[in-house]
Amino acid sequence: MSTALGPVSDALVLAPVPNPQRRDSMRHLQPEFEAMKARYPAGFESSLTLPCLRRIQEERGYVAGEDIDWLVEYLGVPRIQIEEVLSYYTQFRRAPIGRWHLQACRNVSCSMRGAEGLIGYLSRKLGIASGQTTADGRFTLTKVECLGSCGTAPVLMVNDSYHENMSAERVDALLEQLR
Amino acid sequence: MPDFFVNGQPVHADKGQTVMQAALAAGCYIPYFCWHPNLSIAGNCRVCVVEVEGEGGGGSWTDIACNMPVTEGMRVLTDSPRVQELRRQTLQFILLNHPVDCGICDKAGECLLQDHHYQFNGLPSASTIPKVKATKFVPLSQRIVLDNERCILCSRCVRFTREVSKTDALGIVSRGDTSLVRAAEDGAFDRDHYSDNVIDLCPVGALLAKSFLHQTRVWYLQATRSVCPGCARGCQVDLWHRQPEWQLNAPCFSEQRTRNRIERVTAPASSPERAGDAVDGPWICNTGRDLARFFERPRALQPMLKGRAAPLHAALEAARRLLGAARRPALLVSSWGSNEELAAAARLVARHARAGIDVFVKADRQAEAGEPIADDLLIRADKNPNTRGAQALFGAAPVRFAAGTDVVLVWGEGFAFGDLPRGARTILLNAFVQPENGHADAFIPISVQTERAGSYTQCDGREVRFAPCFDKPAAVAHAEQVFEALAESVAGARAGGG
Amino acid sequence: MPGRQLIMNFPVTATSHRLADYRARGGYQTLAKALQSMRPEDITKEVTASGLLGHGGAAFPVGRKWAVVNLNDGQPHYLCANADEGEPGTFKDRWILEHAPHLLLESMLIASYALQVRHAFVYIRGEFDLPYRRLQYAVEEAYAAGYFGTGILGSDFACDLVVYRGAGSYVCGEASALITSIEGKKGLPRNRPPRLTVRGLYQRPTVINNVETLANVTGIVRDGAEAFKRVGIARSPGTQLVSISGHLRRPGIYEVEYGYPVVRFIDEDCGGILDGRRLKCIVPGGISTKVLTAEEIADLTYDHKAFEKKGSQLGSGGMIAIAEGTCMVRLLQVMLRFYHHESCGQCTPCREGMGWLHRTIDRIVAGDGRREDIDTLIRVSEANDGTTICGMGDAAGYATVGILAKYRDEFEHWIEHKRSKFDGVLDVAQAAREPADA
Repeated sequence: MSTALGPVSDALVLAPVPNPQRRDSMRHLQPEFEAMKARYPAGFESSLTLPCLRRIQEERGYVAGEDIDWLVEYLGVPRIQIEEVLSYYTQFRRAPIGRWHLQACRNVSCSMRGAEGLIGYLSRKLGIASGQTTADGRFTLTKVECLGSCGTAPVLMVNDSYHENMSAERVDALLEQLR
Repeated sequence: MPDFFVNGQPVHADKGQTVMQAALAAGCYIPYFCWHPNLSIAGNCRVCVVEVEGEGGGGSWTDIACNMPVTEGMRVLTDSPRVQELRRQTLQFILLNHPVDCGICDKAGECLLQDHHYQFNGLPSASTIPKVKATKFVPLSQRIVLDNERCILCSRCVRFTREVSKTDALGIVSRGDTSLVRAAEDGAFDRDHYSDNVIDLCPVGALLAKSFLHQTRVWYLQATRSVCPGCARGCQVDLWHRQPEWQLNAPCFSEQRTRNRIERVTAPASSPERAGDAVDGPWICNTGRDLARFFERPRALQPMLKGRAAPLHAALEAARRLLGAARRPALLVSSWGSNEELAAAARLVARHARAGIDVFVKADRQAEAGEPIADDLLIRADKNPNTRGAQALFGAAPVRFAAGTDVVLVWGEGFAFGDLPRGARTILLNAFVQPENGHADAFIPISVQTERAGSYTQCDGREVRFAPCFDKPAAVAHAEQVFEALAESVAGARAGGG
Repeated sequence: MPGRQLIMNFPVTATSHRLADYRARGGYQTLAKALQSMRPEDITKEVTASGLLGHGGAAFPVGRKWAVVNLNDGQPHYLCANADEGEPGTFKDRWILEHAPHLLLESMLIASYALQVRHAFVYIRGEFDLPYRRLQYAVEEAYAAGYFGTGILGSDFACDLVVYRGAGSYVCGEASALITSIEGKKGLPRNRPPRLTVRGLYQRPTVINNVETLANVTGIVRDGAEAFKRVGIARSPGTQLVSISGHLRRPGIYEVEYGYPVVRFIDEDCGGILDGRRLKCIVPGGISTKVLTAEEIADLTYDHKAFEKKGSQLGSGGMIAIAEGTCMVRLLQVMLRFYHHESCGQCTPCREGMGWLHRTIDRIVAGDGRREDIDTLIRVSEANDGTTICGMGDAAGYATVGILAKYRDEFEHWIEHKRSKFDGVLDVAQAAREPADA
């Protein structure tokens, strides 16, 4: 097994959620899925459900009905298994969201270091409540549970990156960057 | 082969059995919701908790019995104070968000939650917070509605589609107390020909048959043990109909509601209390659920001679004369005939031994459009209940009329009159209205399975019995008696010369 | 420094997580030693002799778990590293993933050899980004260097590893839920029996260990069980990575040698409480452990048995320091909201009970509490103790009765006066005091 080892940047990745208008099929991902399958033991096709869904969601921004149909065919798993998985795990979504998914932790340590005030600040600044998307489609705000970064509370996850030690000022600076 | 103790009594257990299995087999009841003898162990309801006494001075411990392996000498208590308390707590949890729909819920009277609550809890709700709301009367398929508020998420229905019907048509989406049973979005549940078994399986009134929804209270009904005639498998079924004292007779009820009707069909073994001597498993296919369709088609109630109404004795007399004068008679035997009726037909044929009757067994029913032909679970390709019994007496020759056939006695359905020999006279015995009835030289309306006792020989050779649910309409005859009447007269006619 | 360091014992630089740096620190030499001079049973014996306890929360003796696996049963065995790290207050495994991923990988290779595992997995919570990228990079480096694959280091040992990303579920940190998630399904815990070491992933014998637990294996095999036991104390050998947060000057990840005094750790190593306040209480090891008051920890040391004697547990090592003036009602409300959100919904006591607890405390905080609500919270907690499929129901119960046992007066106050005994704001530092938006 060999792969090319490119440099891995530790920098925070600021990649927006893909365009929700995208309508094409995700079958071009099949070679990637085949490569993934090769790393698993034989008979583990069902295991590919989560990684394939994650990859599809990275491409499309969410998982569409036709993606489910294709995965059923490709993996040979029951359709209900995919529907259950999509509904059970909080990171999967079946509908598009804004370009920037602001996920604010509201658990114990973050609340003890200002998360509740921060969430209120974000909500008022963007003019949306948690669970909503701004009218221009730029920001979606959700409240999430512990992200495992309590020492740098409060933490805001933006798409895939952790933004730690947040404050109102740092939030302002961050939102400026997110176009 | 471990022996262990339940409430102080020694109980035998087979190797690999759980405490639940061994205790139930020994007649010691442990209450449960999610456990089922024919499904995998889910262990989620937590009601079947039992206490196990500690060994060697150790303290006792409690755990669910359905997943508890029997170990030699273990001492199990199924009703200790601790078990009672835990059971009560669990029932309180189940009832926390359960809507008190009993007054409008079809399951009332046969609801496991009601039964367990009254027997093992009986306390008013301990909660003062509003109940969680969920979707009610979701059409899970075209046949079944689901009330998510009543659902206790035992997962029996999900496990059934995964393990028995193998359609994977049901699942549980979301999580926590917003979990919901749902059907796969591709409509697989509509295509599951065993789907209705989940209605029997559901311990509460969450899964309900649309055909039975709000029709009647179960305590007005009685179950008659019968046989499904939908195919040669001959599964035992319970046919539910109103007890005689609860018949709807008042003029305000439509004729549809007042005439003898099957309210619903269940599999006997699906309920341990009703299983009794049931030999089949707890499942039947959806065709069995729809038996009312077969039996409640418009009935023929009027004997006729060439389409003109006639009294029964006149029709019988005409049939006798036709048979007596026939040079080359033929008999088409119904594969829905009971063994008793077939025996009477055989005696009729024997009386004609000198002149001879050509006998053919016909298939009264073929698979309908969309009906599964056969599978490796229950369904057989032969859609008639007693082909085996009929062929044992009359052979399996295909219908082919000999030259010169001049009288044909057609018993039952499934025969095209256009295939009759030209010029042949016809005697027709049939239960249901069809245009051919009026063309027959002699037409005699007969009874259906639900109006008599009898037996079939199902495809594996087992004799399966059915009991009557209703009295037959006064104007129709039992085929068995028609054959006896015809047989007598033949002997008489012969004896009388000519 | 809170005692001797076994894991965080090198300076963290821009490259210290990479293979070259790890090799320079002696990396993968212990794997070579294991493959060339030890039998699989010898490794398990060494781990057992070391007394290593699990670091995921249950503190189960690791060697005893490994010993259940029958090396000669002719079936596939699986090893899974639990990197789900979802217990609130816990963020220590990520240090290993970010800064010492090769230590984890070498340990997993040694453990796979000991357990005759051909395919190993790291189950990492889906939200982790940098820890995942660093780990995946380390995996690629290790493959390129021949530490994974077939014929490893010239032996006939073969092993492949997959990093499996979760997708947002706290329950997937529970071992049986974790492997059900790897099977591509909802992460629902399973009833025992069967034990996972008998029937686990795809019904095969499976060992699941916490990341930190596994990270200790290399050192034990390299230096021997006796050397390991010389660190820490008799009943709790070695060290614990402690993630500490809350109202502290210097929150973060520290490696604490067992036996080290808790108060000294908080006051000296972590800089004490913010704003010159005094400590009110701590959550010792993740919110599923019972709170201990400042008085109760006065002479407590990092010691599993000592914590148990005080009625709590070391748990996952996620310590939260709570300053005086913090409203414990609001704190419990945040915890119960979490448990309600994370309940998988399978079993009756947890599914219904978490909602009951959450809605009851919400009602108290809304000013609509009743006297009997406190007893309801206790009763529902007790009804979840030992009655559920997994430990989450019990955990919520412990958090609840733990706080109620010591701070019942705050709940009674809120019920009677319809407001907190304090100001109800959990953030005691000088941050912008916006109205709480829970």
